Amino acid sequence: MNEFGWFFVRRVLQGAVVVLGVTALVFVFTRLIGDPVAIMLPLEATEAERAQLRAYLGLDRSLGLQFLEFLRQLTVLEFGDSFWQRRPNVEIIVERLPWTLLLVGASMTLAVVLALPLGTIAALYPGRLPDRLTSFLSLAGLSIPLFWLGLMLIFLFAAKLQWLPSSGPGGLAHLVLPSVTLALPAAGRIAMLLRSTLIDELNAPYVRTAIAKGLPARRVITVHTFINAAVPVLTMIGWEVTRALAGYTIVVETVFAWPGLGLVAVQAIQRDDLVLVQAIVFVVAILVVAVNLLLDVAHRLIDPRVKL
Amino acid sequence: MKRFGLTVAAMTAACFAALPVVAQVQVTLAISSEPSTLDPQKTFDGGERRITDNIYETLIERDKDSRLVPGLAAEMPTRVSDTTWQFKLRRGIAFHNGEAFNADAVVHSIKRIFDPAYQSTQLGDLRGIGGAEKVDDYTVNVRTERLDPLLPSRMYWLKIVPPTASAAPNFAEAPVGTGPYRIVEWVKGSRIVLQRHDNYWRDKPTIQRATYRFISEGGTALSGLLAGEFDFVDNLQAEFVKQAPKAARRLGLEHSFSILSAVSGPTQDKRVREALNFAIDKQALAEGLFLGQAAPANGQMIGNRSFGYNPNLKPWPYDPAKAKALIKAAGAEGKAIEFVVPAGRWPKAKEMGEAIAGFWQEIGLKPDLKVVVFNQYLARLRDPKVRPDVIYASHNNALMEAERTVANFYQSRSKGAVSSSVEDATIDEWIAAAGNEPDNAKREALYHRIMQRGYDEAYFLFLLNTEDVYGLSRRMSWEPRLDNKVFLKEMSVN
Repeated sequence: MNEFGWFFVRRVLQGAVVVLGVTALVFVFTRLIGDPVAIMLPLEATEAERAQLRAYLGLDRSLGLQFLEFLRQLTVLEFGDSFWQRRPNVEIIVERLPWTLLLVGASMTLAVVLALPLGTIAALYPGRLPDRLTSFLSLAGLSIPLFWLGLMLIFLFAAKLQWLPSSGPGGLAHLVLPSVTLALPAAGRIAMLLRSTLIDELNAPYVRTAIAKGLPARRVITVHTFINAAVPVLTMIGWEVTRALAGYTIVVETVFAWPGLGLVAVQAIQRDDLVLVQAIVFVVAILVVAVNLLLDVAHRLIDPRVKL
Repeated sequence: MKRFGLTVAAMTAACFAALPVVAQVQVTLAISSEPSTLDPQKTFDGGERRITDNIYETLIERDKDSRLVPGLAAEMPTRVSDTTWQFKLRRGIAFHNGEAFNADAVVHSIKRIFDPAYQSTQLGDLRGIGGAEKVDDYTVNVRTERLDPLLPSRMYWLKIVPPTASAAPNFAEAPVGTGPYRIVEWVKGSRIVLQRHDNYWRDKPTIQRATYRFISEGGTALSGLLAGEFDFVDNLQAEFVKQAPKAARRLGLEHSFSILSAVSGPTQDKRVREALNFAIDKQALAEGLFLGQAAPANGQMIGNRSFGYNPNLKPWPYDPAKAKALIKAAGAEGKAIEFVVPAGRWPKAKEMGEAIAGFWQEIGLKPDLKVVVFNQYLARLRDPKVRPDVIYASHNNALMEAERTVANFYQSRSKGAVSSSVEDATIDEWIAAAGNEPDNAKREALYHRIMQRGYDEAYFLFLLNTEDVYGLSRRMSWEPRLDNKVFLKEMSVN
């Protein structure tokens, strides 16, 4: 196997360790904190009823036995039945995952489409209006809580102007507000990074040389500096994608009643549905590891100097 | 060519056939969580009842004034022996799939929900039902484990399912009932659509089609209401009542209270328990924390339509001077009072706990407020050894029978009430007598006495009775029910 192949295998193994570690942590913590039986039965339920339900859910076994059973299920890619929905967790995830992927895909595309021109123009004309706008957007993105941004967009575009639906899945129109909510802060952060990286590159000696030897400025920017700026910007985009998958969608999906993994994760946590939470964390961890792996590969392809 | 022409004609006809002749009366309702199942016997998860209440029916119902009336039963049941109630069934009713409603369906429904392998979590209010036997096609005997005067009330919580359809593997997604609405589709995560069942055995409701959406965030639900997307929003937040186009409110079944330990700590002294009650300005809590959408409870944890409600009890007066005097008389000045409050489970519980602790500080006590997560709370509530001096709770007696309230909280701990902090032989005697009393008037009198004694002995902090609040669109007309059920058949739009 060549160097690239070994690199790939190594990263997949590392990823597997991360995924296992994360799920093991979640396994322990959910069992320490939550008691699904307390939530599922009314306050007045008798001790016998509680014990019966606990046995039915398999929670009467020792933590070690439960963990072994959990590992066994992982090896056959089976995640048991949700306590809350009483059906296979896999079924729930298969229903919900596409919605999250759609939302993250749309919003991250939008973020990149916004960020590339914004960041470039800001770098070319520092201190001018596009630059200010980029700084404003990224600062706002850092400081405005997502749920507030989402609610304000809903209030303005759905309740007041009535241009767009307030919430829920549906046609393209339903995708607009949640995507914009996720995309705006990400676009600001990506544009800021692109701006500062481009400014550094534009001031680099090779750019002066290129311009001095008579290359058109546009070619210098689009070919030379862009490729050099691509590595950090790609890292940033990858970071945004993983943050969206493993965090921001929880907020945005809740606000917009978007039926993705994030929303179902919140509901599962509220109901102490330990096994469903575990299954979701497992899937999300795999996604995050996969995105990082893709990034590493992309780095290598863009910049052959990158050590693997 | 001729075939092509025929195809076009057929397709055109199909298009027009699909078009509704007149616009349907449609509504959209936002409920706070998606049902986990539409099997009406499996669980109470908050969302499922909103839907299945419109698809399924019960033998006994409650009318708009919360009185028990026959539903699928032809008349109120009669007691044929101490442990047997006989139900006569209505004839000529069919489930949506054509299965007949009859004694077999009733016997099947009761057998199904109690099957241990089925693991229903709805059995709380049904406890004590021993089984059912068919007498003839339209007569069923329901057995109870012992004399059970509450059986008619319990039957409001047992939905009748069709024997054949309920055995299908997809029954949880494709419900089949006798009710006024049938399911059209359930798009998971997105919506549930119900359509009026035109062969319904009672008057046809005016709403023809209803779409349920699942919106957990209050601000989003309000925006949808303002945008005209929703006609109904469940659990409208107190803060949003003024902004909503219309709000429907009514004092519900939820009663917040706290259990004062009569068996340990400073609260063993009746004067301290009284002082703890006198110290609290219930009206201020209702206005400050619930923006007026609550009222001081009438010295008991059940409402005036519940069986056994004592109409003579009034809210405990607010009298901090008297509270101070009682504390002084009891020699309890500066004593620490442990107060356990759960975070998250009930609305504003933590804020209530903080406010109440503040009131107690003012009368010279040292409240030791412990806000804990729910399963820790539950462990304390049921702790057989160390009773908290005061433990917060909220009681929603959907059965509307005092029996449930007194059995859980007024009955002595030694008699099996695991959440109780009381040892009172007199009350135990009355509870036992009421349980064996077939005569409703005598039974009611016993509950009145129990409620009176609970108040006189100040076994509890009597706090608030909170309102159920719903948001409505301008065009929607609907009156909230005391039992918090939301029936499409009681709605209309203009």
